Amino acid sequence: MKRLQQLGCVLLALASPLSQAQSDLLVGDVLSTSAMPIAQAQQAVFIDLARAGERLVAVGERGLVLLSDDHGQSWRQARVPVSVSLTAVQFADARHGWAVGHAGVILATRDAGETWQVQLSGVQAAQLELDAARRELADSADPEAGEARLQTAERLVAEGPDKPFLALAFTDAQHGLVVGAYGIALATDDAGATWHSLVGRIDNPLGLHLYAVARHGDDWFLAGEQGYLARSADAGRSFQMLESPYAGTFFTLASGPDGALLVAGLKGHAFISHERGERFEVLPVPVPVSFNDASTLQDGRVLLANQGGMLFRSTPAGALKPFGKPLGMPVSSLVQAADGSLIVAGFTGLSRLPLHDTPEAE
Amino acid sequence: MKSRHSSDVDNASLAGFDTRSGNLLERLLFNHRPWVLLLCLLATLFLGMQATRIELNASFEKMIPTGHPYIVNYLDNQKELSGLGNALRIAVANRHGDIYDADYLATLQTLSDKIYLLPGVDRAFMKSLWTPATRWVSVTEDGLDGGPVIPDAYDGSPATLAELRRNVQLSNEIGQLVAFDQRSSIIYVPLLARTSDGQPLDYAALSADLEALRAQYQSDAIDIHITGFAKKIGDLIEGLEQILLFFAGAILITAGVLYAYTRCLRSTLLVVLCSLVAVLWQLGLLPLLGYQLDPYSVLVPFLVFAIGMSHGAQKMNGIMQDIGRGMHRVVAARNTFRRLFVAGLTALLSDAVGFAVLMFIDIPVIQDLAVAASIGVAVLIITNLILLPILLSYLGVSPAAAQRSLREEQADSGPAQRHRLWRLLDLFTQKRWASVCVILAACMAVAGYLVSMNLKIGDLDAGAPELRADSRYNLDDAFMNRAFGASSDLFAVMVRTPAGECARYDILRKVDALDWQLRTLPGVDSTNSLALLNRRMLVGLSEGSPKWYELQNNQAMLNMITASAPRGLYNESCSLLTLYVYLTDHKAETLTGLVEHVERFAAANNTADVQFMLAAGNAGIEAATNIVVKQANREMLFWVYGAVILLCLITFRSWRATLCAIVPLVLTSILCEALMVWLGIGVKVATLPVIALGVGIGIDYALYVMSMLLVYQRQGASLSEAYYRALVSTGKVVMLTGVTLAIGVITWLFSPIKFQADMGVLLAFMFVWNMVGALLLLPALAYFLLPAQPRADAAGEPQPGSHEEATPVHPKPQVQQRSARAHALTSD
Repeated sequence: MKRLQQLGCVLLALASPLSQAQSDLLVGDVLSTSAMPIAQAQQAVFIDLARAGERLVAVGERGLVLLSDDHGQSWRQARVPVSVSLTAVQFADARHGWAVGHAGVILATRDAGETWQVQLSGVQAAQLELDAARRELADSADPEAGEARLQTAERLVAEGPDKPFLALAFTDAQHGLVVGAYGIALATDDAGATWHSLVGRIDNPLGLHLYAVARHGDDWFLAGEQGYLARSADAGRSFQMLESPYAGTFFTLASGPDGALLVAGLKGHAFISHERGERFEVLPVPVPVSFNDASTLQDGRVLLANQGGMLFRSTPAGALKPFGKPLGMPVSSLVQAADGSLIVAGFTGLSRLPLHDTPEAE
Repeated sequence: MKSRHSSDVDNASLAGFDTRSGNLLERLLFNHRPWVLLLCLLATLFLGMQATRIELNASFEKMIPTGHPYIVNYLDNQKELSGLGNALRIAVANRHGDIYDADYLATLQTLSDKIYLLPGVDRAFMKSLWTPATRWVSVTEDGLDGGPVIPDAYDGSPATLAELRRNVQLSNEIGQLVAFDQRSSIIYVPLLARTSDGQPLDYAALSADLEALRAQYQSDAIDIHITGFAKKIGDLIEGLEQILLFFAGAILITAGVLYAYTRCLRSTLLVVLCSLVAVLWQLGLLPLLGYQLDPYSVLVPFLVFAIGMSHGAQKMNGIMQDIGRGMHRVVAARNTFRRLFVAGLTALLSDAVGFAVLMFIDIPVIQDLAVAASIGVAVLIITNLILLPILLSYLGVSPAAAQRSLREEQADSGPAQRHRLWRLLDLFTQKRWASVCVILAACMAVAGYLVSMNLKIGDLDAGAPELRADSRYNLDDAFMNRAFGASSDLFAVMVRTPAGECARYDILRKVDALDWQLRTLPGVDSTNSLALLNRRMLVGLSEGSPKWYELQNNQAMLNMITASAPRGLYNESCSLLTLYVYLTDHKAETLTGLVEHVERFAAANNTADVQFMLAAGNAGIEAATNIVVKQANREMLFWVYGAVILLCLITFRSWRATLCAIVPLVLTSILCEALMVWLGIGVKVATLPVIALGVGIGIDYALYVMSMLLVYQRQGASLSEAYYRALVSTGKVVMLTGVTLAIGVITWLFSPIKFQADMGVLLAFMFVWNMVGALLLLPALAYFLLPAQPRADAAGEPQPGSHEEATPVHPKPQVQQRSARAHALTSD
């Protein structure tokens, strides 16, 4: 049967006229060009990983979305209508997921990642923010800040869709928040059918990049450039800046099941808070290499991955311990598969650390 | 006919010989023998002096098809393609540990300093761990920090070594200057085309300097690997010098075989001497006409010598037989001249045509080879068809050898007494064996053709295909690929843009798309381009966050990144981008797939502002060469066969005889291609001439055998008888030379240069198989195509007029007469 399918594909390829093939090669806009299907796709650059039920979903450069139904042993490419780099992916349930990326793209899937639809692009995102800035200028408490926001929004529209979304968080298949470069933030309450700007409700006067979102109950947290940290006590409707323990950029946030908040970033700096971000304890820097991602395992432990390919786990004693051997490649993201194995993504592609390679305890 | 035969009267002395007999040319030459000798002597002296000026060189641009559009593109932009410049990579490895070792670093420093001073090194751009341009960069909370990788306070102490280790990790040089396993590092040495005193770079001298450094510093602790075009050329030139040894070996072997056959030292030496004179004249004529020897044409003198031996042996054999029959040496020489000059001339002319068709191939080295070979063959007409018989007419042959040759003939007087070999060969003129032979040949042709369908174009081996897989250079190249990950097979696409606009988003977007498409093709290992650099640099500028891995549509950012990009990705005036494609191999399929994709991409995306152009880099040049070679392969066969068929038709005046002579050659050509498939040899610049040479030389055999066979058949002999007569007069020398030449060229197998070994094995096959074809398939085909009996009277008599002179004259038209006389001679 598989042979027959292959034959069909070959015949189809032969049947398509050459002129067709040539117009296929015509380079179009990244927002209107579908991601090219490629062989050995798992060796490309991958940026983020997520679980859709048992399924694993990886997103990366040039609109690449790969799916694995065997816990990361084999991957196949999903159909994606854009070819911009995708920076983050999350599933609200086993079927409904969102991915965000460059050029202000928000993609949604309703079939567990098989096909994706564009919900929003940077052009619309800028327009949404401009409309919001105009609307909220009238009832702004601080007219000067409102004016500055309006100018920024106008520039955003003028510059075109060149800025990425960097992180997202969906609480269910209806409600979600996406954040990105220069403090852009949009929210939806209707599964992405409509979006509204949240920029006016986030305390980020410098317009710093927002790299990570985490939540624990109704507490939502943002982390970003230059040690930016903010918290929402109203389930992400508005954010207030927190006092930061560090002036360097935070790339990742993770909240453990016990409510502990872990934040990590530039040059191996990591901190933990047991008091909803009010106060942070420093986790001593093991190596001065930036942390890219943190992930909570099934057993509640939090793993951190750095750009040098080393994994660390936080201990209750408040320290970071190496976890397994260094992988020898930069890690952008990691996730635990349903069978317990670890999947890592990075500049050299996707790889899988089987269960027996991941030490359960020291 | 009658008047001619009068000169064939047995003549042990010169007294009864009519010096006015023979054609104008024969009288002109043989009646003024001292003058001919004097002229030849003067020519030898003059050309011998010229020959001392011959140069051995290897020029890169001569090995590429300069007329192909890809190469035209490359040569147009060569100056701006700084990333593809001529550079050496010298890897210095620590055998006992990693590079963070004080002794290792001290050696590296000394080597680096010494290489810095070599002539021709582009010192400003030389790079190693010790050059100040090798820096580390690190992102900090405040921005960027950096410095040279060797710490300013370096003193070899563990602390400074640890600092070096940290700096290397931050330097982005792992995989570039430092191996992945950190046990070796590279000294990168860009070269100038001319040294500071304006002289062209002397590759042989540079290579020798490098070898001296290697000999001095390689030790139990240090291993040195050197790659780069300059080193490859240096090794090739060194290998060429060994060719002289092969040449000497071939002279000894062929002379030895000839002596073993004739047992006549005198005439053997004369044949060798005349063939060497031909080589000397050729070597003298080349510098006179402004040519030099290169790795390809260096084989031509060798080939000329071999062909000369073949024709010389025919002449000597004829004269020896005639002297054995009792003729005076002068008469014997003139007789042989009459009998074989036209056959020899036709054969040499077809050789010359076989070489000359190589001029159609648009690759300078092959054209030079064609010129050199044509000159050599033309020279042979004088030295071996004229000078040799005249010399033999003075010196003669040893009486013992002449008697011996005669005894062999006598033994052959009746079918029953003939040598077993002749009886075996005679079977092929009989129905049963002829049918079997023709059917077998047809089967081989079909099978060979089927196999030859898989014939590959281009080089199939890794590394430098000119050299052997286990040569020092290729081992070094394999080490580089292993330790540093960068492939040596580089294909480059040039992208022409308006001046100053090479970083425009819409242009980089296209480059980025092509880059991505090419990376998914089979055989592509990795790519590099300004678009890719933009992606990587944006990550770096964003504090290393992988989320920024994108070609951002932000012109200010693109301009900023481009301004700091290394040379090689774009040119000075920002009007030319280079997309580098590193390949896992340089097989023809890989290159063809790549070329076809880029062509289609260019057709779809080229505009007034951006043009994608093929091709640069060694693999790009090879792709163009493959295209030229593939086209030339068929064209060349068409021309060479066309020319040879025409010559045969003129000589034989019979399409049937022509067919008999050509079919064995075609079979050999087909089987040679099948052999190439079997041995894994592709059609390339080095092997392309082989089939043309094989046809050119193979037709010699067919001409000598068929022209004799036709003479006897037209005189009324049966096919079997005519074939036998042809065998004992010229056929056995065909056998002798076929084997001798094959032994001579098979020694090339030991050449350190791979393509010479390939040429050697293929030429040896063609020499032997053409001989087998001329001796077995030719008579078998003649059985079907040239049934003799009724046509004997009509066609046996040559046409009056010009053809009269063209037909070789044989002393004994009647077999009975001849054997009777032979009998009479022995009873004397």
